Amino acid sequence: MSKFAAMKPRLPRLTRPLFVLVMIFAGVVAAGSTASAAPVTINLCAEPGTATLTGAVTVPIWGFHTGACGSAAATLPGPQLVVNEGDTVTVNITNGLPAGHTLTFEIPGITFDAGPTDVAAGASGAVSFTCSAPGTYLYVAGGGEGRQAAMGLAGALLVRSATAGQAYDTATTAYDTEATVVLGAVDPGFNAAPDTYDMYSYLATYWLINGKAYPDTAGITAGPGQRLLLRYLNAGFDNTSMALLGIHEHVVARDAHLLNNPFDAAAETIPAGATEDAIATVPAGPAPSSQGFPLFNRQLHLTNGNQTGTGPTPATGGGMLTFIHP
Amino acid sequence: MSEQATARRGKKGTMTQKMWRLGTVLALAAGSLFAVTVHGSALPPGAPKVGMVCTPGTVAGTTHTFNLETKTGYIETPDGNSVFMWSYDDPGVDNGHFQSPGPVLCATQGQTIVVNLTNNLPEPASVVFPGQADVTATGGTAGLLTTEAAASGGTVSYSFTATDPGTYLYESGSDVVKQVEMGLYGALVVRPGAGANFAYGASTPFDPSREYMALLADIDPFLHHAVETGTTYDFNSRDNRYFTINGRSFPDTVQDNGSGLLPNQPYGALVRIQPNTASNTLPALIRMVNVGVDNHPFHPHGNHTTQIAQDGRLLLSPGGASAGTEHFGETIGAGQTEDFLLRWDDQDHWDPDTNPLPVPPPNYRDVTFKDGNTWYSGSPYLGYKGTLPAGTTTQNICGEWYFPWHSHALNEFTNFDEGFGGMGTLLRVDPPGGCFTTAASTAILSGVLKGGSASALAVDDANYYQVNPRTTTRPTSTTAGQTTITVASAAGFPTTPGYYIRIDNEVMQVTAGQGTTTWTVLRGQLSTAAATHAAGAVITALSNDWYGSFSGVRSGSTNLKVTYKGKNCQATTGTTCPAFTGAPVPQQTVKICNWTILGGCNTAASPGWVTLPPPPTQPQNVGSTDVSSTWTLPGSGSPYIGTGANNGQVRVLIHTQRWTAPSPTPFSTWGNLLALVYDAP
Repeated sequence: MSKFAAMKPRLPRLTRPLFVLVMIFAGVVAAGSTASAAPVTINLCAEPGTATLTGAVTVPIWGFHTGACGSAAATLPGPQLVVNEGDTVTVNITNGLPAGHTLTFEIPGITFDAGPTDVAAGASGAVSFTCSAPGTYLYVAGGGEGRQAAMGLAGALLVRSATAGQAYDTATTAYDTEATVVLGAVDPGFNAAPDTYDMYSYLATYWLINGKAYPDTAGITAGPGQRLLLRYLNAGFDNTSMALLGIHEHVVARDAHLLNNPFDAAAETIPAGATEDAIATVPAGPAPSSQGFPLFNRQLHLTNGNQTGTGPTPATGGGMLTFIHP
Repeated sequence: MSEQATARRGKKGTMTQKMWRLGTVLALAAGSLFAVTVHGSALPPGAPKVGMVCTPGTVAGTTHTFNLETKTGYIETPDGNSVFMWSYDDPGVDNGHFQSPGPVLCATQGQTIVVNLTNNLPEPASVVFPGQADVTATGGTAGLLTTEAAASGGTVSYSFTATDPGTYLYESGSDVVKQVEMGLYGALVVRPGAGANFAYGASTPFDPSREYMALLADIDPFLHHAVETGTTYDFNSRDNRYFTINGRSFPDTVQDNGSGLLPNQPYGALVRIQPNTASNTLPALIRMVNVGVDNHPFHPHGNHTTQIAQDGRLLLSPGGASAGTEHFGETIGAGQTEDFLLRWDDQDHWDPDTNPLPVPPPNYRDVTFKDGNTWYSGSPYLGYKGTLPAGTTTQNICGEWYFPWHSHALNEFTNFDEGFGGMGTLLRVDPPGGCFTTAASTAILSGVLKGGSASALAVDDANYYQVNPRTTTRPTSTTAGQTTITVASAAGFPTTPGYYIRIDNEVMQVTAGQGTTTWTVLRGQLSTAAATHAAGAVITALSNDWYGSFSGVRSGSTNLKVTYKGKNCQATTGTTCPAFTGAPVPQQTVKICNWTILGGCNTAASPGWVTLPPPPTQPQNVGSTDVSSTWTLPGSGSPYIGTGANNGQVRVLIHTQRWTAPSPTPFSTWGNLLALVYDAP
């Protein structure tokens, strides 16, 4: 999984709790308040680029990257943005898309301060908001009747709880390590002609976790006994069912809202545009596979590209598959 | 996909036409219930005809071992197609008969489950157990997701502890895009330590006779054809055309388990339930598993279902209380399992007389009647059956109701795009307690009708079916030693020997000459003394014998329960029922006809009459107050259900007898209610 730095530098993991403790002793922090709330500025550029889906397959994309346009390459998905609960965030957006493609910046679940959210091609704009609640959010370009999102203009926004080591402001969401799982898919034919492609013939052939198809997907590192926070975000168009083999995950939140009745699951459907947080405690016993515990698309989108063999898929796997391993 | 589906639906008929067609399918489906079924096709011995079937495996200590083998075969679809499948079967069940889906593996919490796989496919195969932790493999070779058995005869063994009760699936972990779609899947059920009548534990009791599995799957026949013929197939263009529950598509889903019509698809999906009553409070358990590649929105008509668990884990609030939720539609995601409890409440209290259905019954002209097997019953509500057209002897079994349960992605409620079909089954609501019927006709074997008719036996009320003893006279005097007597008339007396008659205070047994007016008798029977009798003495039959006939009882019905309520009166005239003076009151014995016994049940003494087994013990003393008794014949009812000319008949004999000396008085037998409750096939 690629790590894209958030604009705001974070305190090192060890010092952050100490900092909070100091503030509590000083009588500054009321329960649930946001000690580290701060103004944060994020600069995003949306512009054309390319993505390597598996070894040799690259497709044109429209993607976000941080910094000024031209200073870096657009990525699929967009960079992971990490802020803290209570932060007041300003996202400066520069639209480097081809002419005519007005971009509408959206973060479902977050209310922007009053102001325009549309950015014309070649122009810049800004949205600002207060991160009043922790959770996993999907940011996405809402323009072009879905074509912009399908081209790759989406990414994860993590709002961290004021309490370190918790996904939300409750101890039941404590975790030891985390992984962001952005789901998506690509139809190379569409990516080659995003403005003219007939969407009725859209047929995704690459199914991606964080922009990569197996075997190029990054593994998820978590050791026995560790509580692994899986932050699922569905940036695709399909209601995607992800299965875990050998582990039950404890589903604690959907769409950045804690569930009243969290539950255990071995397979969960993440609706298109939705997010879900689940905590999987890695068993001490053996994993089903020598590569670890499989996390995979149970709708069996485990192929790469058009299939031409006498079987529908190579047994070596592909698509939306990764492994959890130490 | 969804756009294509919409386009396809757009080309089809209107919903009105669809609903009309649904009615037709329902009629056909209900009709198919009566088809002859053959057990033994890929089913273990003793499998029920309806409900979940477990493959037994072998238990040694705390280890429960299942043997599975992969095999190829074909399934039938309702549109006449057949589809090439890969599947698991249990080589120990019906000689490893091919079956789709794989066997339902049932184990108990805490057991060590061992699954030995033999792979007969031309490529490596395996089994994965989603929801189970710490699965270890012995033998085989490492594959992408799990350890695999080599192609063409390779083996591998998996072992894990069934730590948590619940509903799970198992499926292939090899080349899964092909192999799972080809059919390598099945269900795994772990019963809690608390017992097989609990889904998860003490908080989830259910009626173990109403445990159902609904394993959902989807099939693209072009993929299967490509695998069969070794041609290319692009999984991305997958377009499912068949949608199955337990490996069958509607209306095949409502056929019995082991139907001979579907030899490779042993599992039916009909759900049967009886309304919630004071004596029937336990819910049914519906275990749903989605082994398909699509998420299926499943819609149960009728009462809501209550989801209690997902993926083998109870839904609980943080405080530990049930967090179950009620549904009339719930999407089961690919690879998920969900458990539901279902109670069926008669919320509207419909009654054909006092609270009739708000929907007018269909016109006869719109309903198919064929061989007496039709869906519509005239007034179809839970035990009631209305007026039937001439020549139609019966329309449904006993007024049961059917509700469709189906995928509400309506393109999945089809067979190759033709509706209705596919991922659908029926919920059958049987009348409370079972099918209920009352005697349709009566016949007197010894006695004479005093008043009433069979209809008086239909309801527990003030109307009685009344039988007096048969009487005649001796025109001449009788000596104490005489053994041949001539009577004025034999009408109404039994036509077989062995019956008792009374003259004055003496009881005689007729041993020959029955049916004529000259009888050979044994004198001084039943502790009475032979005596002389004057000319013109009255001869009275000692017992009243009559039977009620129930008609239209389906072959294959089980658990017959006979209820008789009646009394005896110390008078043969008048409209009141005088109490008996002196003991004992008449002795009542209720018998049922066992049609398989040679000699039949034509007379009161015929060998076919079998005394109904206790409780209550017979004979019973029945005086002038109504006594109601119910006898149960557990298991198959087939010996008691007539065939051929007596097709569908159940006969129940009421034998009442009294002898007191001196100065006996004749008595009258009054029947109030004669009813039969049974589980229809």
